[in-house]
Amino acid sequence: MDTYSFLASGFAVALQPMNLLMAAIGAFIGTVVGLLPGLGPINGVAILMPLAFALKLPPETALILLAAVYIGCEYGGRISSILLNVPGDAAAIMTAMDGYPMARKGMGGVALSISAWSSFVGSMIATVGIVMMTPLLSKWALAFGPAEYFALMVFAFACLTGLLGDQPVKALLATLIGLSLATVGVDSNSGVYRFTFDSIHLSDGIQFIVVVIGLFSISELLLMLEEAVHGKAVIPETGRTLFNRREVAETWWGTVRSSLVGFVVGILPGAGATVASAITYSMEKRIAGASGTFGEGDIRGVAAPEAANNASANASFIPMLTLGVPGSGTTAVMMGALTLYNITPGPALFQQQPTLVWGLIASMFIGNVILLVMNIPMVGLFTRMLKVPNWALVPGILAVSAVGVYAVHSTTFDLVLMSILGVVGYALRKCEMPMAPLILGFVLGEMMEQNLRRALSITNGELGILWESPISIGLWICAAAMVIVPLAFRKLRKPAAGITPAGAVVEQA
Amino acid sequence: MTSDRVLGILAVLMGAGMAAMSWGYVAQVEYEPVGPRAFPLLLAGLIALCGLWLVFKPSHRAHFGSTLQMRSVALCALFVVLYAVLFQVLGFVVATALMSIPVGRIFGGTWKQSVLTGVGMGLVLFVLFDTLLDVVLPAGIAKPLFTAIGL
Repeated sequence: MDTYSFLASGFAVALQPMNLLMAAIGAFIGTVVGLLPGLGPINGVAILMPLAFALKLPPETALILLAAVYIGCEYGGRISSILLNVPGDAAAIMTAMDGYPMARKGMGGVALSISAWSSFVGSMIATVGIVMMTPLLSKWALAFGPAEYFALMVFAFACLTGLLGDQPVKALLATLIGLSLATVGVDSNSGVYRFTFDSIHLSDGIQFIVVVIGLFSISELLLMLEEAVHGKAVIPETGRTLFNRREVAETWWGTVRSSLVGFVVGILPGAGATVASAITYSMEKRIAGASGTFGEGDIRGVAAPEAANNASANASFIPMLTLGVPGSGTTAVMMGALTLYNITPGPALFQQQPTLVWGLIASMFIGNVILLVMNIPMVGLFTRMLKVPNWALVPGILAVSAVGVYAVHSTTFDLVLMSILGVVGYALRKCEMPMAPLILGFVLGEMMEQNLRRALSITNGELGILWESPISIGLWICAAAMVIVPLAFRKLRKPAAGITPAGAVVEQA
Repeated sequence: MTSDRVLGILAVLMGAGMAAMSWGYVAQVEYEPVGPRAFPLLLAGLIALCGLWLVFKPSHRAHFGSTLQMRSVALCALFVVLYAVLFQVLGFVVATALMSIPVGRIFGGTWKQSVLTGVGMGLVLFVLFDTLLDVVLPAGIAKPLFTAIGL
């Protein structure tokens, strides 16, 4: 069978009424979560994942729901950027630069609709890219042995550590803590209990959901106490709500360029939507040159970052689906969702679970159409969501998080561990420790150890096998480059700090 | 002392503790060259190294909020822990209502608003998840009441 027939069978799965309904629900929830400042795609996916499992949704339906939430968040983030000047999620920071000035000029409706359109174009281009690339990549990945997998995971961590923030030591420490949390429980090879402190609740290891909800949702709620977003007025919508043909033409090539850049950035582990939108914003600003009014409400400055962050969010599914190694925090959470169903993502997935993979890919096309339809005429409804006060929102999120954690094992232990991890996560985040590497380490921990031990079993303990094949050598070199190059760049750039606006934002993210 | 130093010291201690614990992780029958203790030991060593780095090259001073803000963070964290502990004992509806009232107050709601959302949310979410969606939640002390009204 070729790609087209697989894709056709995927559409047959995605068009089933239940799956269509879940895609629509996911798109709606995602947009809402995305537009609420403070809550991003990881929170949305983390809170819904245990619920999807508890509702006994089949795996492909659960994945369709979560993917729609993820992409929906990238659509939703722009709404609060444009109307409030407060980015709804990290990837929407750049959208506020020109979106808010446009809204102040009474062009808010146009900014919202053109950004919905460019989000749609970005997502569609990336999804076509997924269709073209994943089958090839998964075939290539089948040649990976344990040594190559080990090197690949080191590469993924190197990307996340090197590209994320200006404090690589903290990112590395976060990764190591995540890997350590994954060693808790009985070692499947030898039956030895590790770090269980003689508790039966830990003999099975720490529940994935407990870690994710504790570290992301609970700590986020505590952080929200310090960020006073209150009192910011939503700019009332006036004038035209739909873009016209001239505006589409004006933004078209910038949108396409940004989508392609976003796609490439999204495939790389670690980089993700925030970096993609920052890069494309400064790229478009440079291309526009003197003709641009970037920063004062240039429509191209709204379209470009939105196209890029959506393209990159979609593209980040590629490493997860083909290699089984997620490239971003959100896809790491999704991979955790699959392991709840005892499904291990990776190259074999395309042979063993074609309905799941192609159903998901087809549903991304459908989900984007749903999101476009939702986000242009229904934008007023979403705007009203910004008025939900924190005193109702926070207890609500807390209660739904607890329901999700409780639904999996029904123990008080898990709930208490969730709240403790929430407090620990809050403290770590105050120390500027990034959470994405931690969660990636936790998801990949067992796989990394198993692959290392399997590789060394082949050679009876000889370490040389880890860098023997050309693939693993290449991956080690790339990993080293990922750590060294950004460091060197920062050193070189330091004397000229402040010249590139993109750099500043990347470091915040 | 910067927060990085504290973080570094904690990391060193964590690495040492992990190393001490994992030293004893030896399989009864070793049939592979790398046993269950190698990977945790490797991680422990690297964590301690990162910790040392942070102790000697700290770069950051944490920006904690005002004392008032920190007090509400601590209070909020306390209520989250209490909620977790009481969730099963008191049951979802009662525990959620009791959690929502102080947390709502901390986030700026009035007494009336917080009490109404707390009680309303407890009931609505319980009916939604437990009754309609079949996600089983603890009834706790409200159980006799639920059986009386036939939920």
